[in-house]
Amino acid sequence: MTDGYVQQPGSNTDVRVDGKRVAGKIKFNPPGSGGSRPEMADRDMDFIPEVEGGNESQPAGQHLHDKYRTGTSVGKRTPLVDGNAKVTGQAWYGDDVRLPNEIIGRIVRSPHHYAKVKSIDTSKAEALPGVLAVSTGADAPQRFGVLPVTKDEHAMAVEKVRHVGDLVACVAAIDEPTAREAAALIEVEYEVLDAVHDPKKGLLDVDDPIHWRGQYHIGSTNVQKRVFQEFGDRSKLEQARATHHGKWKFMGVNHGFTEPHAVVAHWDSNGRLQLYTPQQVPHYAHRALATVLDVPMHQVNVIRTFVGGGFGGKSDPFPHEMCAAILARKAGRPVRITFDREEVFWVNRGRHPSHIEVQMFADEDARISGFEIDALIDGGGFASFGHVTSYYNGVLATAPYELGSFHYTGARVWTNKPASGAMRGHGAVNTRCAIEVGMDDLAEKLQVDPIDLRLANLLPPHSKTITGFRITSNGMRQALERVREGSQWDSKFRKLPLGKGIGIGCGFFISGSGLPIHWDPNKFPHATVHIQIDMDGGVTVHTGAADIGQGSTTAIAQVVAEVLALPLEMIHVRSHESDTSPVDLGSYSSRVTFMNANAAISAALEIREQLVDAASGILDMPAEYLILNDRRIYSKRDPAIGVSYLEALHKSQEDKGALIASGAYRTPPMGGVHKGAAAGLAPAYSFSAYVAEVDVDVETGLIKCTDVWAAHDCGKALNPLAVEGQIIGSCHMGLGQVLSEQMVYGRTGHLQNPNLLDYKIPSVHEMPNVTPIIIESCDPEGPFGAKEAGEGPLLPILPAVVNAVYDAIGIRINDLPLTPDKVWAAIAKKMKREDIAEAQDLPTPRLDFSELQQKIVQRSSQHGGRDSRRQRSEDTDPYINGVLFGFDPTVPPEDQDGDWKIAVRPTSEQLEGLGLAGSAWTKIEQRKMEDGK
Amino acid sequence: MVGDEHVSMIPAAHTKVWNSEVNGQPQEVLAPSNAVLLDVLRDKVGCLGVKRGCDMGTCGCCAVMVDGQPRLSCLTMAQDVQGSTITTVEGLADGAHLAPIQQCFAEHGGSQCGFCTPGFLISSQALLDKNPNPTDAEISTAIEGNLCRCTGYQQIIQSIQAAAEIHRGDASPAKPASSAHSDPHPSGPN
Ligand code: FES
Ligand code: FES
Repeated sequence: MTDGYVQQPGSNTDVRVDGKRVAGKIKFNPPGSGGSRPEMADRDMDFIPEVEGGNESQPAGQHLHDKYRTGTSVGKRTPLVDGNAKVTGQAWYGDDVRLPNEIIGRIVRSPHHYAKVKSIDTSKAEALPGVLAVSTGADAPQRFGVLPVTKDEHAMAVEKVRHVGDLVACVAAIDEPTAREAAALIEVEYEVLDAVHDPKKGLLDVDDPIHWRGQYHIGSTNVQKRVFQEFGDRSKLEQARATHHGKWKFMGVNHGFTEPHAVVAHWDSNGRLQLYTPQQVPHYAHRALATVLDVPMHQVNVIRTFVGGGFGGKSDPFPHEMCAAILARKAGRPVRITFDREEVFWVNRGRHPSHIEVQMFADEDARISGFEIDALIDGGGFASFGHVTSYYNGVLATAPYELGSFHYTGARVWTNKPASGAMRGHGAVNTRCAIEVGMDDLAEKLQVDPIDLRLANLLPPHSKTITGFRITSNGMRQALERVREGSQWDSKFRKLPLGKGIGIGCGFFISGSGLPIHWDPNKFPHATVHIQIDMDGGVTVHTGAADIGQGSTTAIAQVVAEVLALPLEMIHVRSHESDTSPVDLGSYSSRVTFMNANAAISAALEIREQLVDAASGILDMPAEYLILNDRRIYSKRDPAIGVSYLEALHKSQEDKGALIASGAYRTPPMGGVHKGAAAGLAPAYSFSAYVAEVDVDVETGLIKCTDVWAAHDCGKALNPLAVEGQIIGSCHMGLGQVLSEQMVYGRTGHLQNPNLLDYKIPSVHEMPNVTPIIIESCDPEGPFGAKEAGEGPLLPILPAVVNAVYDAIGIRINDLPLTPDKVWAAIAKKMKREDIAEAQDLPTPRLDFSELQQKIVQRSSQHGGRDSRRQRSEDTDPYINGVLFGFDPTVPPEDQDGDWKIAVRPTSEQLEGLGLAGSAWTKIEQRKMEDGK
Repeated sequence: MVGDEHVSMIPAAHTKVWNSEVNGQPQEVLAPSNAVLLDVLRDKVGCLGVKRGCDMGTCGCCAVMVDGQPRLSCLTMAQDVQGSTITTVEGLADGAHLAPIQQCFAEHGGSQCGFCTPGFLISSQALLDKNPNPTDAEISTAIEGNLCRCTGYQQIIQSIQAAAEIHRGDASPAKPASSAHSDPHPSGPN
């Protein structure tokens, strides 16, 4: 190359003679070159929609952002922009932050499940040479918590400890051995209280509830939150043709991210706190730190390091972050605290151990006339995200099927365990497993194919669920059809020999939550992105989006590159510091790509407009005639007429310097008015369907999942490489929960496996061969049509495996994980009951279609046509849940059926018949007691 | 005051000189005689690319090559490998040029959050050094001690296969990153 700018490294794939790769170089047109340069890349027509003159077909309808597609990056398999940092060891995680003069912090943890802290004597620790600071709960009396409604945590125990491993005190010393030693020298006097371990006991009145919520406390129980929801007409349930009843037990599971928590706190020379932490949600940590440390938020700079896996486990503000800051303030030196793996389990925030009971009903037309769900979830010692989890366990079951009625009772109780919280697939995973297995059972009882049963009961695109969620794009039908085809379902299902089985499961998940946790009543946006371009032409993108490995930084860079038609190497995303990043609500509820990419697009469009204006000025040509491509802006009609990107940029910088734009995203107003209507609301929903094949060894009960066909509707794959990575990774995590992972609490309530040896995460040998199938339904609200792909793909794997196990051995086990001992016990029980001598003689389920099969196949093919018309916006009539049951879609359901109900608390007659969790409603809130009721 | 009655929890270890060649550079550091290699590498030599995921040999994040063999540095006493040649993730690249294994992990989705990546790179480089033509099963065996919570391993195996191809001198690295039937252009709902 002789002239032009040179930049490296790029992604050139040339290989040197010795096999080493040559660092790539990208060629730049010098300013003013005008566009005659032959090396300018052709527009990549395969990635530009037909409406804009390209080749990409758009079966799912057009999108608002189509006209900004330049064929640069969106839809291409794109390596992570921070990938090189990760493969060279330069990525800096929590424990890799080393500041000059740092000291080491250690936390003193409770050895008791539940106890009053009577006194703490720190004098011996303080006297130990090398100890620089000691702190106890008295130093930080302020409460915090991730949800403003349930702030129930302290930096360290103020009055009580609530689980083994709860924080009591902390120390900082010159090195780790000294800090450990000092921690051991702290003497704490406890008065041990009666602990609650079994969540069922959490429903009972006790003398000393784990937390006290004053007038809102429910009786004197340990119920933290209870939910009741009833929608629809339950009077028809008695005439059901088939019913399913499932009583489930799910063990708690942990995120198992590879990077243990770590934090570095440093009060700089101006007295501002610089806090380095691998946080998914730096903004909430920021808020909580300000509260607990009693400093204004602008005196805290939260620096998100690289995050070594989050999955929900690094999204609460954590007490150890407060501890580090307190110690650093006392010692006047930077303090680093790094967790042992065991401590990760004490902090937990994993998936709730749950008791879930479902009853499901199908009528004579194989329509789903009702779901009844009762979920008792074990929250452990703190509220965390539990308020939301309590809703999600029910409301996220209201799609993708059209329901005749929906009844949900949920309760979350405090127990003396490490707190449960949000984990990938938050709140939806366990119930989803129960109802998808229920669908399988209903199909069996109706004698129809379970995929056809689902296909005949799907809500169409652009519809409303029974609780009023707005469904926009919906690729469920395609997902089911694609996995059916890919797995050769029809030639395998109920036809495989004993020990081999195939099963189906579906999923439905939110893509960003409609209501931000902290944001009302102000109408702040959910996400804001700033873009800045100075004369060098490089694009700096400021965002608070926390990349936790899912590739959000890459997605944001991609959409900016796409709109501005610049190579990815010219986009620099800055997202680590709260000082420079606009506020972002963080990486939870699968919101980051959806919301931040939307914000980034709107900022990039502002810049694009300025560039095009400048070009149109130089070329004296109307802006509408101009298109962007590969660092050049030129006429659609004659590509030779144009200006380079830099030329247009410099022109538009005249008199004002750097181009700066800000874009924001906020969800549209949505949802019903009933209590709890906001829980589960999202601007878009993802859908998925998986088919799993398993081998079950009937002699030992060992299950091996061999193949998975995993179809996920992510709207539009901005980066198919990352979407596939998310799908396969979700399979891995879900497979762990269904086959091997569990937090085992022994008879005394003690966690027995707080390490990665006994907590069994699948290794490479346990992984099936996963075939990811990306479904693109082009969401009208999503950035270039995209929806989430990080959490939804986890849901279907659990039921798919459980259903496949039934197909293999004819036994349904409702107690996860399906460890060999449980499976073998179930086999042995069945052999005994049915008097079978050899496990090899176990019968396997077979399927004889009833007359309904033909009926539902017919119905689903009609619905198929309806759905594709709706998806392409050829049919824009309103559709509400209930139309399948004869409703008029333009009239609210409650006005067309006298028996249709909406209720958010039980009537006094109902109280008797409620399930386990529902029984929480038999207790009276304190404030109502005082009224004498 | 800490009186005579105070018995130290961890008996103080005396400090010893530790020297080895790390990533091509001779190193001479003072470290406690009972230090594990992981701590010496991270805290004394400054190789922060070596990660601590568990400290008990269960995650593989801390893998380094000692005299060409992959070892878990959290289970290796520094004094036991005194005088050896050690390669960490920082030593894989050749100056500004990424090693094929690094490039392929970055390009084929072998790294998501990246915390496990240094360990995987070491295990797989050690495999490729011995066996430039590994089967998927051989790769699985080589990385069975490495835990990854993000990727589900599939793209890691693909990355290693791609690197093997480059090692073999198969000069066409541009093969699809996934054998999976992904479908960026679905045929539509009909
Ligand atoms: S830190 Fe060495 S194996 Fe986990
Ligand atoms: S990439 Fe996150 S643990 Fe492997």
